[in-house]
Amino acid sequence: MNPFEYVSATTPDEAISYIGKNGRYLAGGIDLLGEMKDYIISPDILVNVKSAVNPSIVFLKGDLAGWALPASVTVSELVADQGLRSTLPGLIEAATEIGSPQIRDMATLGGNLLQHSRCWYYRQPDIVCLKRGGTTCYGTGGENKYLALYSGCACVSPIVSNLSVILTALDAKVRVKRDGKEQTLSMHELYQEAWKNPAAHNALQPQDFLLSVHILTRVNRSAYRQVSEKNAFDWALVSCAAAGNVTDGKIHDARVVLGSIAPVPYMVEEANKFLEGKPLTDETASKAADLILKDAKPLAQNGYKVPLAHTLIRRTLLALNA
Amino acid sequence: MAAWPDSPQSLGKPTSRVDGVAKVTGAAKYTYDVQPDGWLYGMILRSKWPAAKVTKIDLSKAQAMPGVKAAVLAGGEQRTVRFYGQELAAVAATTKQQALDAIRAIEVTAEPLPFVVKEDDAIKPDSPPVGDGPNLSQPKVDSKGDPNIDALFTSAAAVCEAELRTPVQLHHALETHGNTVSVQGDHVVAWASTQGIFSVRDGLAGNLGMPQSNIQVICDHMGGGFGAKFSPGVHGGLAAQLSKAAGAPVKLMLTRLDEGLAVGNRPSSIQKLKFAAGADGKLIAADVENHGSPGISGSRKTAGGGGGADIALPYIYNFPNVHSQQFGVIMNTGPASAFRAPGHPPASFGTESMIDDLAVKLNMDPLQFRLLNDGNPTRQREYKEGAEKFGWTAKYKKPGSDPGPIKTGIGCAGATWGGGGKGSEAQVQINPDATVEVRCGTQDLGTGSRTVVAIVAAEAFGLRPDQIKVKIGDTNLPFSGGSGGSSTTASMSPAVWDTCQNALTALQTQTGVADARGAAWPDACKKLGINPLTAQGKWQEGFSSSGAGGVNFAEVEVDTETGHVRVKKVVAVHDCGLIINPLATTSQINGGVMCGIGYALYEERIMDRQTGLLLNTNFDSYKITNIADCPEIEVILINMPERGVIGIGEPAVIPPAGAIANAVANAIGVRVHSLPITPAKVLAALGKVPNVTAV
Repeated sequence: MNPFEYVSATTPDEAISYIGKNGRYLAGGIDLLGEMKDYIISPDILVNVKSAVNPSIVFLKGDLAGWALPASVTVSELVADQGLRSTLPGLIEAATEIGSPQIRDMATLGGNLLQHSRCWYYRQPDIVCLKRGGTTCYGTGGENKYLALYSGCACVSPIVSNLSVILTALDAKVRVKRDGKEQTLSMHELYQEAWKNPAAHNALQPQDFLLSVHILTRVNRSAYRQVSEKNAFDWALVSCAAAGNVTDGKIHDARVVLGSIAPVPYMVEEANKFLEGKPLTDETASKAADLILKDAKPLAQNGYKVPLAHTLIRRTLLALNA
Repeated sequence: MAAWPDSPQSLGKPTSRVDGVAKVTGAAKYTYDVQPDGWLYGMILRSKWPAAKVTKIDLSKAQAMPGVKAAVLAGGEQRTVRFYGQELAAVAATTKQQALDAIRAIEVTAEPLPFVVKEDDAIKPDSPPVGDGPNLSQPKVDSKGDPNIDALFTSAAAVCEAELRTPVQLHHALETHGNTVSVQGDHVVAWASTQGIFSVRDGLAGNLGMPQSNIQVICDHMGGGFGAKFSPGVHGGLAAQLSKAAGAPVKLMLTRLDEGLAVGNRPSSIQKLKFAAGADGKLIAADVENHGSPGISGSRKTAGGGGGADIALPYIYNFPNVHSQQFGVIMNTGPASAFRAPGHPPASFGTESMIDDLAVKLNMDPLQFRLLNDGNPTRQREYKEGAEKFGWTAKYKKPGSDPGPIKTGIGCAGATWGGGGKGSEAQVQINPDATVEVRCGTQDLGTGSRTVVAIVAAEAFGLRPDQIKVKIGDTNLPFSGGSGGSSTTASMSPAVWDTCQNALTALQTQTGVADARGAAWPDACKKLGINPLTAQGKWQEGFSSSGAGGVNFAEVEVDTETGHVRVKKVVAVHDCGLIINPLATTSQINGGVMCGIGYALYEERIMDRQTGLLLNTNFDSYKITNIADCPEIEVILINMPERGVIGIGEPAVIPPAGAIANAVANAIGVRVHSLPITPAKVLAALGKVPNVTAV
């Protein structure tokens, strides 16, 4: 990797003061160090932020009533939290599918949400693809079995963050320190830039500091399912998360989200509306899947993701009945 | 010498590895761990182009950088490179970062050339020529039986015809290829991650222009070798040149990316198979054609030479009439090499797939169909014993008949392998204090060779294996050959046995003790006085043989709505003659099944047609079997002591892919015609993917 400065920060403000235009925050380092070693990115300073925010998972009252998850919490800590486990099973299911136990022990919530593209063209050390600042998206006409069914731009690399998918379903908000102020972004706002800008992985600038994730909605059901080629320690080919309130056998406030099929967590409002007040059955779940997938534009090798996503939507929705 | 004993004390008894504690505590030093005083990091600059005419390689900037002690070219400065990853130059520096920086400072001027990295493209007449000859070789044609084979297909009761494909499988041993080489004047010491310390020695001697006797190669512990770790490799030669230039030891271990590019691989295959059988279930004819690519290494009348892509078609069955054509296809990708059972796993997958399809067509149980057409008595026995343990009869259902979206299926497949041994020598030293040291210049790939030596010596002397001190992995020890072809145990066990018999005879003669073994051992040794007793011996006929069978039964679960395949159970039945250590043998077969599952379901080198570059550069996209992917594996060993020692490394890896592919077809009622069997292909085979009809 290229040389860089290294400092540790004890507060978000201190971290931001060091970061400059080409710095990066270091938490778990799972994604960051790999990219640096492959010369995909070369930050001039790394700011260790492991101690910059209080890593406790808390249930807050007041304006932000709900779960507050610090960005620096590790995936293993999420998985182990009994409160989350009993109230948000979908979040635990999504977290459990991340990497291996060793990775989950190091990887953080913030890092998982903000990880960069895993497209093999983007990660190939000797290819400068569109996302890396080149002129061509090689994925579109190349080896695209893992790539996106939807994109708002010329880059077809999909988001692979499991937590982005479930947190979008849970309508989570993220707190970001930006331009000296704390701001609240929706998950949509956190990622939308990647939909239209091939160079973007999310909407954050290098100076922006992701503080925490807040799950404010009180849903009584959540679920996450993914299918990979291998049984564990593998990226999802397609993932699906769903959340909502099931009362008297009917779903309300449903949010159904797909991962690994678009540059952003992919949600179709029409499907959520369709489900409102309906019982979750094979038929309604299947109709919702049809609505979500109707605009899919498969590339030469990823058409299988359409039936796979259809199955996952149905199964994830039906899991909400349990 | 004395025959293998009828009632052995140590042979055939499950024995924990003599170096097990050292390995699990980290005390064992692998090649990767070796750090001689003053060692430098070696690193290789590789071609960024799949094909290019290189006109200039300027090392001057790299040489002037801090910490850089040497920089050498890998070939001439002006040359044509023919694959992505081909070695151009190498540097040695004090730190890893300095070496990385120096590599990036080397300026290469090159003119990119047209390239081709896909078999289907390379076969086309207008594809860019990879070498000096055509990309497609002349076929190797074989035939037996009726020359008018077409007529046999017309009249046969059942005919199956299909194109089956297997991908290039990359080597990716967990310890990458590499060496630490220390050239000190006219003496060289090299620590190698190798399957053949003597072949590395000879390779380095050639590279450095030095006498073989001046070179010592050491391999105490290494992290796996599967056919591509016999020579020092281009990287080993570069390490030697760098060490010579720098005057210091150079450690050059390849990166994971390097490992995917240039160390060899299992060639791909595109098999067009046509099999016919009669109404009585007897096989009649096979017409087979294979196009395989060994990458740049070429075959027959194409440019290059060496590693061929021919496979053992049609595999193991008694076809009275055969017509076969095998073509080699060269392309701008890394060279092929031997890979655990070269030519067998792809042939087994293709042949066994078609055998099952024929059985289905004839409305026969695939196991009965095999018993009818496989004349090998050992496999007959293995199929019968395995089927019993597996519960074949109770489990077998018509293809696709399991109700519900998640379907279970079963399949089986067979293997054949030569194995056998020759050539090993050994030495033993018995000390007056009753300690014993056995020396043999073999190497332990992780298969437990060290423990085999201890078991055989313990048997000869009536001692426990842990009482034997074993010295292996050093060319200063008596010669033993490379560990390939499933020949290590069959080569060195007879040598160690012979040596120990000679030592025992000498001990008894010298001390007058009639039987010095077991309880008498300490007193007999004491009678030696002050001088130890040393004896030699070598491999002899009659203690090993060749020709192993082997069969697998697999049970899988296929989710027909996601395409995901999970292997639930594998029963692996194998013979390897006299089994020295059933614990290690079982372990070796477990590893073969895991490697076979990777070949069946996960592994595939992906080259990009647009850039000519490798895309799956790491383990997150070049997928190998992990522990979560492992089914219940039941190993059944058929001990045949009367045959002597044979070997198990390769047969273990042959049948899993065919058995699993057949189990998938049995589960879902349609066949996936190419490996790896991914969710994408399963869904396509089931007709569930829009606009895709076949795989």
